[in-house]
Amino acid sequence: MNPEIFGNGSTGGRARLLRIENLNYHIDGVPILKDISFEADKKEFIGLIGPNGAGKTTLLKCINGINKGTGCIELDGTDIRTLNNRQIASKIAMLHQDTTVTFPFTVMDIVLTGRYHKLGRFRPETTEDYAVARRCMEYTDTLKLENRLINTLSGGERQRALFARVLAQETDLILLDEPSASLDIAYEEQLFKYARELSDNGKAVIAAVHDLKTAVRYCTRLIMMKEGRIIADGSPESVITRENLRSSYGVDAIVYRNRVTGLVDFHISGGSRSRKDLSVHVIGGGGSACGVIRQLFEAGCRITAGVFPHGDSDLSCADIFGIRALACRPFSEIDDNSLKENIELVKAADMTILCDMPFGLQNIRNLEAAAYASELIIIEDTDPRNRDFTGGKALELYNGLKKRAVVVDSARLHEVI
Amino acid sequence: MNNLNVYKKMGIMLPAMFLLLLFTIIAAVALGAVYVPLGRSFRIILDNIGLIDDPALPQEQVSIIFRVRLPRVIVACVAGAALSACGAVMQGLFRNPMADPGVLGVSSGAGLGAIIAITTGFAARSIYTMPLFAAVGALCTVTLIYLLALRKGKIAPLTLILSGIAVSTFIGAVTQFILIRSNTYEVRRYVFWTMGGLSGMMWEQVRLITFPVLVLLAVLMMFSRELNLLQLGEEEAQSLGLEPSRTRKLLLLFTSLITAVAISVCGPVSFVGLIVPHMVRLIAGPDHRLLIPASALGGAIFLTGCDILGRLPADGEIHVGIITAILGAPYFLYLLIRTRRVGGAF
Repeated sequence: MNPEIFGNGSTGGRARLLRIENLNYHIDGVPILKDISFEADKKEFIGLIGPNGAGKTTLLKCINGINKGTGCIELDGTDIRTLNNRQIASKIAMLHQDTTVTFPFTVMDIVLTGRYHKLGRFRPETTEDYAVARRCMEYTDTLKLENRLINTLSGGERQRALFARVLAQETDLILLDEPSASLDIAYEEQLFKYARELSDNGKAVIAAVHDLKTAVRYCTRLIMMKEGRIIADGSPESVITRENLRSSYGVDAIVYRNRVTGLVDFHISGGSRSRKDLSVHVIGGGGSACGVIRQLFEAGCRITAGVFPHGDSDLSCADIFGIRALACRPFSEIDDNSLKENIELVKAADMTILCDMPFGLQNIRNLEAAAYASELIIIEDTDPRNRDFTGGKALELYNGLKKRAVVVDSARLHEVI
Repeated sequence: MNNLNVYKKMGIMLPAMFLLLLFTIIAAVALGAVYVPLGRSFRIILDNIGLIDDPALPQEQVSIIFRVRLPRVIVACVAGAALSACGAVMQGLFRNPMADPGVLGVSSGAGLGAIIAITTGFAARSIYTMPLFAAVGALCTVTLIYLLALRKGKIAPLTLILSGIAVSTFIGAVTQFILIRSNTYEVRRYVFWTMGGLSGMMWEQVRLITFPVLVLLAVLMMFSRELNLLQLGEEEAQSLGLEPSRTRKLLLLFTSLITAVAISVCGPVSFVGLIVPHMVRLIAGPDHRLLIPASALGGAIFLTGCDILGRLPADGEIHVGIITAILGAPYFLYLLIRTRRVGGAF
């Protein structure tokens, strides 16, 4: 860690870095921001999210003093309207959305413009300014581009050079306006990593973020906007909810905790076909039912599922999609009660789907239940002989079911529903 | 060359251009109806500023060079430097390679001031009244155009250019209306001024423009860094700590002042402010710390050179404004065509 880039990071329990209260902003009488209030502190990495036109960029420009709204924006306890641009630039740095520079300045010259607020009319750049610029360029891996012309760089290189300039301003607060707009995913990751590292080390970062998954991953806090208002503010877990996604983006999304990354994740349903008339029961386990449940969900079917042992990923999947699923104790045989309930669900459904699942003594009774299906679909992606761990008993039942079932592979599931 | 540090580039370009300017000045002093060899011309200049003492120099040549040619050449240098540096600043202000001081209506305003000075008879009373009237006319016009382009305390570049065209045309019509009612002598005098003539320049004119132009040039150079920031875009510049509107207003004021001073003496010489900074930019790059002084030197060289060309015909000299227009217009068209092909601004 380089303390000279990150600052000492000690807030010493001081007042909030940024305080916004009842900020309103109009363009020609049309309200763009409505009653925005929030506070931001050092060490926070706040992601502004919301659909296009929600007012994210406008808000950042208000904080930067470019847009003059009504209400109060305080920085370190000082109203920014009492500060001139030079004073603001010493406290807030902003990376704008459109980063194209058409004039052939060298990268070093561009990064040095970050020092402008420290220079006087008769005070040229000192060796210290150059040292700061070099340090910031080293951090964003652009020092080797020092003498290149900015208009000849690739989008990613240019973005990192401009990020170095933002750092060269040496401010406590950094604003990033959709920093990943022109980047491929590797650089996008890197930029967010830098930003998170900066906030962890004592700066405050507020970024308008387009990609919600990136926002969840790197931001410590999210502020969700819609039509110029803040509709949610808090930890990523508390902001990314099904209700919030629906009201801000107008999408129907499944929100869950991703078992691989451990982060909040979501899945936006693509289906508009509604098969509310069709009820389907899914028998699976060991993760075999997840994809099937998603497909059925998007097709708009009424779904039940079971029986899954507690802790099975199919059970969490059912939970995420909010469908009824039967559960039993793990590592033990399905009890009579669960079997009975399962048979009832199978009978009640128009269709039962048996997933491409392994069979053991614990779940063999699921095959018994499947026999009661009025219409049975068997998904067979792999040879059932390799999935039988009961010494042939399950396979016998399975083959019996197969005689009166429709057998498909999972890629063709949509054809039968 | 473009990748060099700007200070290193300054160290190479500015001395080189300065030497070229010195050579051009000596050539301009030596050439003319009476040819004075280069070496002797140089000695005459040195003798007159007291650096050497050579009583053997022929007196009639001394007076041609020192009383007639040298003031004329100095006015050409100062006016060329002023117009060209202003062009560089205006192009930076508007981020548009086609902008020049004429956009602001300085020329038309100065023209109206000049014709008023001539027809009212003030011009005949003192050599200072016509420049004064021209400068006042220029500043009034700029102020009017500026006020028309002002929206909520900000200047919209496009509105400024459009209102500049409208006001210039109107003022041009007023000037022509006055001209129609003027007598032949007055018309002749006005036409003489608009063609951008350098003949008849004396030490009074040198004194009149040199000091204000040099001071204002120094002021413009102090805004180099601000101009560089403006190239990045208005909002970017603001995020970096610049006050874009205030900087624009100040720079517009200074450029119109300096242009008014220059053309009040030598008439509205066209295209100097457009093509010189443009050519200089090709070598110097976009950094105004170098661009402004290099454009000033380049403008001085260019205008002095044009004046030499104008004096070459034996059957009477051609006004320098005609020469600059003959050279400048094709270059301007070339720029237009190239911009259209590449698809740049304008």
